[in-house]
Amino acid sequence: MSLTDMEKAVEGIAGLRGVFITLMPDCLLFDSWTREDRWHAEDVASYFGDLVRANREGLKAIEAWAADMQVTIESADSLVVLREMEGGLVASMVFERSVPMGMVRLSVKRLLGRLAVSLPAIELEDRPRGERLLDYLERYAPDPHAVRMRVALQTGIPLGELEHPENLSGGQLDEIEESVKFILGLDTLAY
Amino acid sequence: MHKRNGTPSVAYDNDLAFLGDAPVLYHCHHFNLFLDQSVDDALGPKVGPALRFAAAREASYQLLASLVRAADAVTPAERVALAEHVFASMGHGRLRIDAPQGVGKAVGEHLHYGQAWFEKYGATVRRRSPADAFAAGFAAAAVDLAYDLPPLSSAATEERCVAMRAPRCEFTIRRGEPEEARPRVDRAAVAATSADGWIPAGLHEDAIASIAATLRAFLAGVESDDSGLIRAFGVYVTMHLAGYYNRITYDTITRVQATAPKMTEVLEMLFRESGHVCVFNTFGGILMSPEWEGAVGTLTGDPAEIVAGGVAIARALGFGRWRIREHVPGERLVIDAPATYESPYYGIRHGEAVRPTCYFLQGAALAIMQLAERVRWSERPALTQAFYNELFRGGLPWRVEQTRCRVRGDDRCAVVVTRS
Repeated sequence: MSLTDMEKAVEGIAGLRGVFITLMPDCLLFDSWTREDRWHAEDVASYFGDLVRANREGLKAIEAWAADMQVTIESADSLVVLREMEGGLVASMVFERSVPMGMVRLSVKRLLGRLAVSLPAIELEDRPRGERLLDYLERYAPDPHAVRMRVALQTGIPLGELEHPENLSGGQLDEIEESVKFILGLDTLAY
Repeated sequence: MHKRNGTPSVAYDNDLAFLGDAPVLYHCHHFNLFLDQSVDDALGPKVGPALRFAAAREASYQLLASLVRAADAVTPAERVALAEHVFASMGHGRLRIDAPQGVGKAVGEHLHYGQAWFEKYGATVRRRSPADAFAAGFAAAAVDLAYDLPPLSSAATEERCVAMRAPRCEFTIRRGEPEEARPRVDRAAVAATSADGWIPAGLHEDAIASIAATLRAFLAGVESDDSGLIRAFGVYVTMHLAGYYNRITYDTITRVQATAPKMTEVLEMLFRESGHVCVFNTFGGILMSPEWEGAVGTLTGDPAEIVAGGVAIARALGFGRWRIREHVPGERLVIDAPATYESPYYGIRHGEAVRPTCYFLQGAALAIMQLAERVRWSERPALTQAFYNELFRGGLPWRVEQTRCRVRGDDRCAVVVTRS
């Protein structure tokens, strides 16, 4: 059951292919509406959440960040707008590419207004670092079904303990972070 | 055995394949990459590649030594040319070796590991270390043989790699200390440990033997392209050295058992997964290929047909005389074999085992059940990475157990797939 009245929120929005509400900072799917049954809403919400976070950090690094920033992506067949909302949420709105940009802007404004009214108040709670690390890895690593085994092997932390990342020690989490960096080939992680 | 282009063709004993003296088989890039990756995960980014290099050098030396003898290649130039030709004809890419007396370089174009890694993973993750330890080991072995240096003494280091976004792969080659020789695992030794005859025929035996023979005839005509790669059935195919796979597998297991025994089971799971990903992609690709349709017929999607087809493919690729001992669609599959490509090596090099050791057979049987039960063949789905990942959402509905293993003293190797 939808947490938000998404059907009502998207009513009359022309060319809309999908809306994904991501709960930050963990990039979890909060709610979604889509015309495409092939899309995995959890995955889409996570990736776009990460994108907004990376965008925010990048803008902060050049001292250009503002709370009302908006990311627009133009792909071959879609136009995607990502926008931070109040309450630690990110709205990702996917339009058909043929919709004119001006119409998209108007639709985004209308849609965000409707969502702001219908979204419930959320109390944010920090998730344990281990959960965030492993979720991040599973989002970006190839062969996600095998990555916990890879981390176990690299760190020596038994799989059973990785199933409860909230109980891992600081030292173990540091080892996991190094393992995640190794698997993804990254110097730093933004999770 | 006859010669083609100066290279002996593949010979088979009990559906195990040999090129010259060396046990060989066909494997895809999915398997090759995942197996190498698991070794590095277990041993780390320095020891893992070092083991892979040493295994490649040893297995390649055995192969090349027998081919050099067979071809009567005498001069260094002849021997290097033979090695480069064999490397490309096996689907590993183009390697140019220039290391007189064991000092020099090699350059690789379209090397199987580097190119396949970049195509499969390059858009997702950044690689920090070279991917072509196999090519490095092969080049070192070729140099040892070409210049009559002590066997297994040359060293090679990959300095640049296409998997790390370099335009081509480059290796430096230098003299080193020879590695101590280990017991040979050649055709005669494998035959001595994998004699057949006491296991009764399995289900669909005639059909399986017929399909395997047809596929084998087709494989005999498959050649690498101008880049030295074999692209077939939606994958990069290599003719590869069983000695390489087995040494990196069992040396890694041995080291992990000694240093972190609790991790042995995890490593075994990953080795099993390398077989699973291979069979899903390669066997699936073969089953859906025009060649299969032409030679065997249009797939109906009947699970019995898929299982029999999978076992026939395994035989054709040189994995051993796999048989279907039991098959209850949707419930249970038992595959056994008098020997796998894994068991003779383990028996010769490591002796008796406490745990079953045919990891590829385990993963392969699981994947055959997946192909039989979870692919809608009539819809001819694309066997993509997304489809593969989808199989694991919510957990696998099947599990596999190896119940018999030659190296534990059993009369055969056998795996059982049942519902989780």
